[in-house]
Amino acid sequence: MTLEKAYILLSILVFLIGLLGVIARKNLITMLVSTEIMLNGVNLTLVAVDKVLGRVDGQIFSFFTLTVAAAEVAVGLGLVVAIFRLRGYEGSSEIVHLRD
Amino acid sequence: MEWVIFGVLAFWLLVSVLGAVLVKNPVHSILFFLSSVLAMAGLFLSLGAELLAGLQIIIYAVAIVVFYVLVITTIPWEKVKRFEGVYKKELLFGIPVVLVIFLLMGSMVLRGRFAQPVGVVEDNVREVGRTLFTSYLFPFEVASVILLVAMIGAILLGRKEE
Repeated sequence: MTLEKAYILLSILVFLIGLLGVIARKNLITMLVSTEIMLNGVNLTLVAVDKVLGRVDGQIFSFFTLTVAAAEVAVGLGLVVAIFRLRGYEGSSEIVHLRD
Repeated sequence: MEWVIFGVLAFWLLVSVLGAVLVKNPVHSILFFLSSVLAMAGLFLSLGAELLAGLQIIIYAVAIVVFYVLVITTIPWEKVKRFEGVYKKELLFGIPVVLVIFLLMGSMVLRGRFAQPVGVVEDNVREVGRTLFTSYLFPFEVASVILLVAMIGAILLGRKEE
């Protein structure tokens, strides 16, 4: 097992822990934090494969992932605050209606 | 030596990621996430991606985490208390699924082989800048449009209903 494979295994583990958080968290805001963890795990894979291939394309894809993460936080937190204001404070499994 | 650095950073990363997912208090969860972002920046540095490590700290550790904390402070605390932590049943069903997926993907990674390396990156920042502004110029411009749309969407979602 080379070092790069260990990096990729670590990033798979980080991604799956983030997935577990999205499945199991009760609070909408911490669900968004778990989504950020998943994005971070994908970034680690891209950079590790870059080291193997001797290119920089993966790092550029990681920049775009950072852009998407920033946009996702802005829109996602806006949505969470809107849900809290419209429907009251609820756990993530109680929000099952699209609108009243 | 590389293995030692990798081991320390990987342990730090896994502990903080697990803490961010499993801890009860939302503010503590975000602090664990901040710690995981720092560990990830260290991993990027050890992989030779200096520019990405710096951007990781600037964007994640400064902008995104501060944004989360600001939003949490606007929410009344007593009403959030009711849904702290994790759903036990979903967690118990999720852990075996995640373990099976990890074993499958991990065995694929361990058996597979990498493609042939095509070159050596001498100066990371210069190489990234050159590639970003030649081959990836159009996606770079589109990224600015994504940020603009996100900004307009956040303003629309955050306004008061008439």
